[in-house]
Amino acid sequence: MRKPFLWATVAFMLIPLYVLTVNAFKDQQDILANPFGLGGLTLEPLGRALTNPQFNVVKGYAVTLLFVVSVNLLSVVLAAPAAYVIARSPKRRFRVLMLFFLAGTFIPGQVLVIPVVYVLKTLGLMGTIRGFVLFETVLTLPFSIFLYAGYIATVPAVLDQAAAVDGAGRLRTFWQIVFPLMRPAVATMVILNTFSVWNDFVNPQIILGPGSGLYTVTTGVYAAVSQYSTDYTVVFPTLLLAIAPLLVFFVFMQRHIISGLTAGATKG
Amino acid sequence: MTLTREAPLVTTPVVRRKPRTRDGWVTAIMVAPATVLYIVMLIVPVGLALYLSLTDWDGFSANPAFVGAANYVNLLDDPELRRAALVTLLVAAAGTAGLNLLGLGFALLVNGVSRANTFFRIVLFYPHVLSALVVGFLWSAILGTTGAVNNLVTTWGGEVLPFLSDPTWATITMIAVLVWAGFGVNVVLYLAGLQAVPHSLIEAARIDGATRLQVFRNVTLPALGPSVTVNIVLSLVTLLKTYDLVVSLTAGGPAGQTQTVAYLILWNSFHDARLGFGSAQSVLLMLVTAALAFVVTRLRRRGELAVHQ
Repeated sequence: MRKPFLWATVAFMLIPLYVLTVNAFKDQQDILANPFGLGGLTLEPLGRALTNPQFNVVKGYAVTLLFVVSVNLLSVVLAAPAAYVIARSPKRRFRVLMLFFLAGTFIPGQVLVIPVVYVLKTLGLMGTIRGFVLFETVLTLPFSIFLYAGYIATVPAVLDQAAAVDGAGRLRTFWQIVFPLMRPAVATMVILNTFSVWNDFVNPQIILGPGSGLYTVTTGVYAAVSQYSTDYTVVFPTLLLAIAPLLVFFVFMQRHIISGLTAGATKG
Repeated sequence: MTLTREAPLVTTPVVRRKPRTRDGWVTAIMVAPATVLYIVMLIVPVGLALYLSLTDWDGFSANPAFVGAANYVNLLDDPELRRAALVTLLVAAAGTAGLNLLGLGFALLVNGVSRANTFFRIVLFYPHVLSALVVGFLWSAILGTTGAVNNLVTTWGGEVLPFLSDPTWATITMIAVLVWAGFGVNVVLYLAGLQAVPHSLIEAARIDGATRLQVFRNVTLPALGPSVTVNIVLSLVTLLKTYDLVVSLTAGGPAGQTQTVAYLILWNSFHDARLGFGSAQSVLLMLVTAALAFVVTRLRRRGELAVHQ
């Protein structure tokens, strides 16, 4: 009873993925005539999706990857040292600072979109890569600092003291002694940030806007698919190209990704 | 230990002051950038959202006019918002029920270490990796009027099923897709909760002759209490801000019948250039979300106490 039911569920979970994959290699007629079959496979629609003037997928990958890397780098460089000071200092003001950052995990993104437009306009960063990357980074800070501070608290302070005795300053102690030990926490955050930046739709759509000509994978998919939602030779190959890198990444790193994304799900 | 005790003995006050001020600077350098950015782009915007909700900002003018509570008065008798609020509450309630029933059910089914269970967990979880936007477009290609399923139905001589073209069907489809895409996370969370249920309790109950169902109801479920609370609050908070999936699955249609509050906020703000009004709606959404999360936590806590008495 249990096994057949589970396998039926597996089928139900995977059929959409199957439909997406096979139909990405068919022309419109074959898709309409036989959406679940394997007949008449061709590479042509995929080729056309790759050279779609509406949305350059390869450029979309590059832009999105640039955002993912910059947000991750900036997030670690900003959050890790701050978390270190918070975790190591017995001073009251740093405990208050922790609570101040923690409050940020409760603020829903929806409330921020509109006023952030105002802030970015005031700073002259609206519609720029810098503005977008900064905002996405800030969104990662509260949870990163919370996670890093919790992790640093488990690293023995004797290590810092030993480094200090050997003459290392605070910055050096952190980056050379403590930071390398934070690898698991940083890995969790990188996974979390990678998915949230890659899959984000609202923020790039509004902050970068169609005027900037900069499409991430999601805003590009929206531009390419939303108006042609019944031209399946556009829909299926574009969607397949959009999710392929993430799925490959997921298959190879599933254990870490599941635990990372689950940690992120509980942050609110 | 000896280190910290000896340190004050060897450092004279003069030597001590110098490193201290330098240390102060270094600490500031480590903390300030994150703090400043956080204030400018997260704390200030929250305050601004409150302020903008009292103005008629259109997204362009540098100094929007102050209109007092007009936006809030307007949104109270806005039929569109009333409908969207109803849809959102329905999606949140039915979705939370679906996510948690399936989440807990499948967690019980795939609990235990085996290769097959690992595979099942991965398959149940994978849609969460995809963006909601892609999930929506994919399901609309499968369930749309000319989509894969309807193609099959019409080839077999059936009528086109209005999965996305009838308001009631479309709402149900949306909830179903949200549950399909999200319950894997609940499975993983409930699995974590199940590891914390004391095995000795379950064994004791089994020895006393309890059936599987009795063990579940009287041992496992009460022990899962906190896990259930976390899962319910999480599902509620997530579903109340459903946006991406509406855009891609139904585009709010047919005839605006599946617009959620989040969808309306962004539509009013960026399509109709009424960012002041949109701000008022988003403030309202934030308050309702916080209130619901609070009420659920409170009710659940009372329930848990009742179990323990």
